[in-house]
Amino acid sequence: MAPRLGDIKANLNRHLEFLDRARKDKADLVVFPELSLTGYSLKDLVPDTSLDTARGPVFRELLAAGRGMSVVVGFVEERDNERGLFYNSAAFLAGGKVLHIHRKVFLPTFGMFEEGKFFAQGRNFVPFQAPFGKTGLMICRDFLQYGSSYLLFAGGAEVLIVISAAPGRGVAGPDGFETNHMWELMGEAMSYFSTAFVLYCNRTGSEDGVSFAGGSFIYSPKGERLARASGLDEEVLSCEFDMGLVRQVRKTWTFKRDERPEIILHSLERIVRRYED
Amino acid sequence: MKINPAFVEKVLTRFIRDELTKFGFTKGVLGLSGGLDSSVCAVLAAHALGAKNVLALIMPYRKGFPADVKDAAGLARALAIRTKRIDITPQVDAYFLRYPTKSRLLKGNKMARERMAILYDFSAREKALILGTSNKTELLIGYGTIHGDMACAINPMGDLYKTQVRELGAYLGVPGKILKKTPTAGLWPGQTDEGEIGVAYAEIDAILFDLVDQRKSRDEVIADGFKEEVVDKVISLIKGSEFKRKLPPIAKISSRTVGHDFLYPYDWDR
Repeated sequence: MAPRLGDIKANLNRHLEFLDRARKDKADLVVFPELSLTGYSLKDLVPDTSLDTARGPVFRELLAAGRGMSVVVGFVEERDNERGLFYNSAAFLAGGKVLHIHRKVFLPTFGMFEEGKFFAQGRNFVPFQAPFGKTGLMICRDFLQYGSSYLLFAGGAEVLIVISAAPGRGVAGPDGFETNHMWELMGEAMSYFSTAFVLYCNRTGSEDGVSFAGGSFIYSPKGERLARASGLDEEVLSCEFDMGLVRQVRKTWTFKRDERPEIILHSLERIVRRYED
Repeated sequence: MKINPAFVEKVLTRFIRDELTKFGFTKGVLGLSGGLDSSVCAVLAAHALGAKNVLALIMPYRKGFPADVKDAAGLARALAIRTKRIDITPQVDAYFLRYPTKSRLLKGNKMARERMAILYDFSAREKALILGTSNKTELLIGYGTIHGDMACAINPMGDLYKTQVRELGAYLGVPGKILKKTPTAGLWPGQTDEGEIGVAYAEIDAILFDLVDQRKSRDEVIADGFKEEVVDKVISLIKGSEFKRKLPPIAKISSRTVGHDFLYPYDWDR
């Protein structure tokens, strides 16, 4: 989808339309892109568009409209007990509740990106039990820092959901923006080596001259691409998959069984302790 | 440097349509000189908005560049876009009669700003946004008149080097005689961009691509085989024209200042 910049009401209505349609299609899971309720290039609009999932009509309406389904939305988060801290967050809604919130950890702040100027940084990658299996959330750049997927994998995730507002760059390739290839490469690699499903939902539309590249995709735990959306056009990408595939693949590829988080942790501690300025 | 022109057309036509829609416009207006850049822009605009929603202003000075005027009219006819021919001679001559100069550059800049003023006037009359036609090469080396041909509401062409514009133009079916034209800012008859800058576009673009897109240092670009004096010339053109790519600096006094830390998106509430 292509959210309208800074207009929560209009975006909420679009969410409700999509959820209505998803219900008719008997969807179990609906994923919206990064900052789907607000649009991306907010800058100083960030404080004006913040939401607390526990208060106000927006999440109440989303929870009602998403009854019987799992829903992932992107929003600017500001909680009552942390006023003045604004996070680029993803909420996982299921069973009439906010089951999990992930706050974007890696806020790109270089070149055309300035998230670090406007958002507070998340601190965690925590998988949680979704109705269909253990799930991890990432937001856009989180996914390109491969430690993020590792932590969710080590924590037991069978589904990695990435919501994104990735601008397209590079037009020499035969098929869409060259940056789309980068995301798919990561999707293929992380699904294969995590033996987990990877769902990547990227927005479309443009803001301030920047075109968002779409190209949402789903990879199976075998690293197979199950579905891909077109580049520039808004599209509902739907795909049916069997969660039993995780078990089946993990019988063959024992990456999960053979994983040794304690060795990784030990090595990381050593690296971190040796930091020198 | 290579582009996929079919995909670029898709991105740029969508950009034109999206931006106009967001700001509540359906029509675009542009200055059509008969040169490559404005011709490509006219085709993109016609594809994005529909021919009847595009107004091309052909704005000659005296009897200069008759071939370009003819090509502009021919292209507009082929695209079935609306055109209006406005002779800028009376107002330009009236000014220089009072404040004479021998400088061709001053005259050329005045003409560019006269055309800009007419475009903005027609933008309001026609409720149409101005489509800019400056390409990435011109923007980077500052080869344009500030508040003249560089002024516009949106610029679909500004991230394409001149050589890429030509590639896109060929794909879009811009007539061969326009594609093959020697680029000229039209400041005076016989003037050519490459003659004035002193370096061929193909070479400028290759150097700019190294410096800007590949972020190579001066020495790395020279090591790639470009002449030292040409690389230095291009670098000095970039540095010398930064003021044309920015809004003027505002003296900061308060804690929140326009242009410094009053930071809203261009598409605010659109």
